[in-house]
Amino acid sequence: MHPILADARKLLWYVLAWLLAGIGIAALLRLTEQAEWSGALWFALPICLVWSFVALSSYYVCRSLPYSQRRWPVALGLFGGASLLSALAWLGLGEAWDSMGRLVSHDKPFVAMTSPGWVMYFAAGFVLYLLSLLAHDVLVAFESVQAAARREAESRVLARDAELQMLRTQINPHFLFNSLNSISALTGFDPAAAREMTVDLAQFFRRTLALAERERITLGEEVVLCEHFLAIEKRRFGAKLKTELRIAADATDCLLPPMTLQPLLENAIKHGIRQVDGGGTITVDALVRDGWLHIAVVNPVAADEVPASGHGVGLKNIRERLAVLYGARARIAWQRSETQFAIEINLPADKEVIE
Amino acid sequence: MSAIPPLRALIVDDEELARHLIREYLQGHADIEIVGECENGLDAVRQIGALTPDLVFLDIQMPRLTGLEVLELTGRRAGVIFTTAYDEHAIKAFELHAVDYLLKPFSKARFDDALARARALHAPASPAPALDALIARKTAPLERILIRDREQVHVIAIDQVECIEAQGDYLAIHAGGKCHLKPQRISEIEEQLDSTRFLRVHRSFIISLAHLQAIERPGPDRHAARLRSGKRVPISRSGYEKLRTLV
Repeated sequence: MHPILADARKLLWYVLAWLLAGIGIAALLRLTEQAEWSGALWFALPICLVWSFVALSSYYVCRSLPYSQRRWPVALGLFGGASLLSALAWLGLGEAWDSMGRLVSHDKPFVAMTSPGWVMYFAAGFVLYLLSLLAHDVLVAFESVQAAARREAESRVLARDAELQMLRTQINPHFLFNSLNSISALTGFDPAAAREMTVDLAQFFRRTLALAERERITLGEEVVLCEHFLAIEKRRFGAKLKTELRIAADATDCLLPPMTLQPLLENAIKHGIRQVDGGGTITVDALVRDGWLHIAVVNPVAADEVPASGHGVGLKNIRERLAVLYGARARIAWQRSETQFAIEINLPADKEVIE
Repeated sequence: MSAIPPLRALIVDDEELARHLIREYLQGHADIEIVGECENGLDAVRQIGALTPDLVFLDIQMPRLTGLEVLELTGRRAGVIFTTAYDEHAIKAFELHAVDYLLKPFSKARFDDALARARALHAPASPAPALDALIARKTAPLERILIRDREQVHVIAIDQVECIEAQGDYLAIHAGGKCHLKPQRISEIEEQLDSTRFLRVHRSFIISLAHLQAIERPGPDRHAARLRSGKRVPISRSGYEKLRTLV
């Protein structure tokens, strides 16, 4: 449907503009002494009212010739032809309406135009329709640009949704199978520890699945999830892995996307602790300052490590995820020195609204 | 019947529990003696060299060096049982080359099975061409080059490498102002390198495009590459053609 017909407000303004054009034509008729004011207005306004709807047809003329497949001779022919045809119809309508005037006002037409008057009137019809075509052309071009932008945005959102879904349901198989192997080993000599590890593993996956369905969770919930994760990893890596979590009390009820902290810890173990002989301590600091939630993770790294492959992919994923959810209001920055890796995330300190 | 000497086994895994499990599974096998345990790839390279075990239980995903890199550096082929939790690429390659491997977590029965096969294969200590193929054709383009220099292992990041020169049976790898020798053919390493970052410009030279500074013309129809370090490398005619399409 025509965008102007679809919107009552736009239609009103559009018709008003045409009535203004009608007054203009009436003034022209008056100035060239073709008619009296009342006759000129009686003549021009109804015609312009009718013509405002006829001119809307130019939208479809423009759409029949999209910009991308347009050649100038064809476009010129089409626009000129359409304007000429409509000017003829405009002339016919004018003459018919003018003669109707006899019925309403004492057997006299609204205007008594001379031939040059009718020529001028005809030219005005031509120009008006041409202007309408050009205006619609701009409208169509604008619309197609907007539609393209919308499509692009939509596909981006869809792609991101799919990616988020993927990220959420992604269960690191390496982690799962290694944990099961550790449990298998523990059953032989420490069944109680094996049982604890099984429970931690179950809790971790249960929480991952439950939280992944939610858009945002509290930092407190994320920390509980991470504690199960760390309990498992500590069984696997023994004394090599030590952790220090310092979560400020007012930070625990801040909201953040699920699985924001956990992948940072996973990275810290995979690329940090595991690579360092003797391991080390991962520290996590979370606090609220000036309306911002700051989360920092620091871990030791091996000074001479040359990554085998795939370094930084995980971090890029987190950055993209935060960008999707927060735009420019989230910041993530990391820094690697000779002996340690530090990453910091800053998010707006949103809290759950209690209704 | 004379007593058969026990098989000497080395366990390589960075997780203590994983090593513990293998120790436990081995308890029932009187003919196997555990001679050592390693928790990273570098250590494994040293121990394999020092202890020459008959059997190596080798984890693939390890710090420092992967299991496959350990084999590359030590030249070890026979008597290797891979263990891995999850490694799509490696598992695909194992299947392809019929190499035995244990998927964690594995049962005692599966472990005994692998052991029986290893014992059978051990008798004639035959080199396994399957493993050669496995090590040579790594899936991703090479990210680091490993060099063994007596007891030392150098790991060179690929973006440090300026150029590689064939010298007889060796490659001279120029990186960070140093030159390392590695026994390998130039065509072999050429295949493993990322072809958008490295180019064979001459029968005996591969250069890193990131380290290329200028192409010089010392004479009519002769070209040379000047690298950022100032080193000059000759360019053959076909090498020049390839370089021109790339740069």
